[in-house]
Amino acid sequence: MANLSLKHIYKVYPNGTKAVNDFNMQIDDKEFIVFVGPSGCGKSTMLRMVAGLEEISAGELRIGDVVVNDMEPKDRDIAMVFQNYALYPHMTIYENIAFGLQMRQVPQKDENGNVILDKKGRPKMGKMPKAEIDERVKAAAEILGITDYLQKKPKEMSGGQRQRVALGRAIVREPKVMLLDEPLSNLDAKLRTQMRSEIVKLHERLQTTFIYVTHDQVEAMTMGTRIVVMKLGVIQQIDTPKNLYQMPANKFVAGFIGTPQMNFFEGTLKKIGDKVEIRLNGSQSVITIPYEIVIKAMPQYLDGNTKVCIGLRSEDVSIDPDVVKESNTTIKVKISHTEELGTETLVYGDINMDGDGFGDDSTRIVLKAAGFKNFSSGDVVDAALNMANVHLFDIKTEKSIIPRVPEYTYQDCTVQKGVLSFAGTQIKLPPAMPCPDGNYELHIPVDAISLGGNISAEVVSQEVVNKQTLARLVVGNSTLFALLDAPVEGKKVNLHIDIKKLSICKDGNVVVKPMPLINSLEGTFAMDKVKGTVEVDGKVKSRMVPKYSIVILGQKFEAPADVAVKMFSAFTGRKVFNTSFRYELSPYDFTIGEGGITASVRWMINYGDEKFIECEVAGQTFYVKADKDYSGSVTLMPDFTKVGVTEIGREIKIV
Amino acid sequence: MKKKKLFKPQKLFNIAITYLIILAVCFVFLFPILWLVLASFSKTGSIYSFKGFFPTEYSFDSFVRLFTDTQMYNYPKWFANTLFISIMSAFIGTALTILTAYCMSRFRFKSRKAMMKTTLVLGMFPSFMTMTAVYLMMTQFNLINQQWGLILIYSAGAPMGYLTQKGFFDTIPSSIDEAARIDGASNFKIFLKITLPLAAPMIVYTLLSSFVWPWSDFILPQLLLKNKDLWTVAVGLMTLPTDEFSRFAAGAVFIAVPIVIFYFALSKFLISGLSAGAVKQ
Repeated sequence: MANLSLKHIYKVYPNGTKAVNDFNMQIDDKEFIVFVGPSGCGKSTMLRMVAGLEEISAGELRIGDVVVNDMEPKDRDIAMVFQNYALYPHMTIYENIAFGLQMRQVPQKDENGNVILDKKGRPKMGKMPKAEIDERVKAAAEILGITDYLQKKPKEMSGGQRQRVALGRAIVREPKVMLLDEPLSNLDAKLRTQMRSEIVKLHERLQTTFIYVTHDQVEAMTMGTRIVVMKLGVIQQIDTPKNLYQMPANKFVAGFIGTPQMNFFEGTLKKIGDKVEIRLNGSQSVITIPYEIVIKAMPQYLDGNTKVCIGLRSEDVSIDPDVVKESNTTIKVKISHTEELGTETLVYGDINMDGDGFGDDSTRIVLKAAGFKNFSSGDVVDAALNMANVHLFDIKTEKSIIPRVPEYTYQDCTVQKGVLSFAGTQIKLPPAMPCPDGNYELHIPVDAISLGGNISAEVVSQEVVNKQTLARLVVGNSTLFALLDAPVEGKKVNLHIDIKKLSICKDGNVVVKPMPLINSLEGTFAMDKVKGTVEVDGKVKSRMVPKYSIVILGQKFEAPADVAVKMFSAFTGRKVFNTSFRYELSPYDFTIGEGGITASVRWMINYGDEKFIECEVAGQTFYVKADKDYSGSVTLMPDFTKVGVTEIGREIKIV
Repeated sequence: MKKKKLFKPQKLFNIAITYLIILAVCFVFLFPILWLVLASFSKTGSIYSFKGFFPTEYSFDSFVRLFTDTQMYNYPKWFANTLFISIMSAFIGTALTILTAYCMSRFRFKSRKAMMKTTLVLGMFPSFMTMTAVYLMMTQFNLINQQWGLILIYSAGAPMGYLTQKGFFDTIPSSIDEAARIDGASNFKIFLKITLPLAAPMIVYTLLSSFVWPWSDFILPQLLLKNKDLWTVAVGLMTLPTDEFSRFAAGAVFIAVPIVIFYFALSKFLISGLSAGAVKQ
């Protein structure tokens, strides 16, 4: 019964392979989390790091409120079920389940049930009473229906029963977190389905946090409250089963979740008025869809030349004559072969009339038809595409081009005498954003918009994504997306746009850049021994104590204690002092005029309500928040409490 | 109905050849033993009175004199010495071997590979090669003429042959250890409560093999034990004169008794397969 917090967790092997790469996740109490992915994606490694069987290379893992990075598995209050059961073969089932309780140290109680304290006032620890062990073992056996087998040895039991014992051994300790490492993959198909629902029931009954690892997407979809899809150590998407299925963040997730695999085609999109024309490679058919569906896409994908990947699930393709008659998005399919599954028939074909339906190229199509269907190879049929459920991906990055949360909203705008006008709104550009008159394209990041300004807008729809609210707003005649902290009440809102985050572009060139909000500095980490005081047993003694500092631009600055701790946990020995790091500081993390780095001011960036200095130190450009105008040279004192630290060699985020 | 032939000629021939070879090998192995056993029951003691394979007269005399006539040749004393040295070496040596093998199998530490290779190479040298060095060291430690000196050498040398045991530990799935670790057992508890019970056949094998070496060794006791009272059977029997051959034979036959007893008593533990059912194979 605990929540878990996993921050920037890495597993790096000595040869530099990153088995787990920057794993970030918050797991709430009582969640059923499933890690899923193909073999070698790092899901088991991640689970073993949570269990404490594998060392965490860098990052912070909390169970409850406690950082457990360096804690022994037994102290983490977790239980684990292994793929191969890992029962103790020489013990009976009873002894197997009781072993964890016998090993445990619990506070001792006297006859009245009061905790006995030792001389120092701490609870006296000792073995758990036999009667209590007996009671708990029997209760666990009861839950799992293995009471009759308690005196048997593991080898006398079947696979399903052994897995039940393994589950019993885990639940008897009443852990905070249950970890299951592919527990069903050794069972046959029928037993697996049965145990699957039993584990789900067990989760409901125990009300504990479960983390479940599997490579089987069906298991993931049916069991998890949230699913983590991983590939090559990197998280692809964390979401509920429904969202993963309906809104995959990239092509990998789209292809991994769902059977048969999603159909992927290559093609182009062209925006014509409020419609978008889709042309698929290899097919003569042209499909027209409303612009509404791809409203979140960047404009350059809709120019009719950029190749995109178009994904459609097999159930969104129909060859039912009634559906085809009604539909105006149809395509010709040449059937190659069919697979009859009883309730439905999988029809394999090709949208290219010269194709043969084999080979994994982008014209192959699989669709589902109800009941038994007879087709002969080479038949050409009309298929209706349900374009409302279309998924679009970038060919190179494979990321969805219509993501749940778009990065920017794109608007046509004009600049006239220093006044920016878009969507019926005028903003006076500050001196920091010099822009010649003309027509431009404006990129508004979704996080640049906040409530409480003087631009009135209408709320069209809102959806909650990862505890934030994505609001679709209409300003004038244009649509804007805004990422807000809380849902908006009412239809009318007033908006404020943070103009320092805007960029103004023309023909793909950036005319006005947004304000950089991160200063990157290369540096090292150092330790000095200084005279200090230490408290030993209540007495203050003078000792030489280590003082840790961050070294940038040849100057030492004291490192905050929590930064120093994280630096040490990521390295063994003195290696940390011979490694170079990239420190990231925001323009707000500096104090001007109190010593520190000496910088020469290039110019002031004036946004009207906010001012920044662009200055130079040893060839590097710095941006610093200022409250008044400066010139000449200034001294900058960095504040490292919110610093971000990355090891340059292995690209590992440490803080 | 046609009666099936029991053996086809070809098959019969094959079987005959096989058995002939087996018999020949058995004869080669058993002939010296049989000859020794017969010699121990011979009435005439001297080696020169042997004519042919069978003795002229049979008696238990040599066995009786082995245990009664202890004035000159104290066989019971030698026997007790050998038993003491062998048992102590077997227990200490087994403990060390098992621990070494467990560490090499389960823990990953610096220079593990280097140590494994070194021990493998060192184990190839015969023990008498180091005789001079061992003798000098034992004089320094003041362990000449001490049974504990021998026990030390035998026990310390035993872990050299840990590879078989390591191979066995490697077959015990590490997920069992991990499960126990999560259950709250320390490394030593895991070893004691999980690994050792599973390794029972291996322990028995190790015990037997580390018992046999000191039991039949001649070179080291001869080198280190000067006092007649401390002699082992092997050293003692060598001092018997040629006219006491039947007594020598009786002593040699009798020394095989404990090993045979040990083997039969422990053979049921030697059956592996105790770990069946631990994990899905």
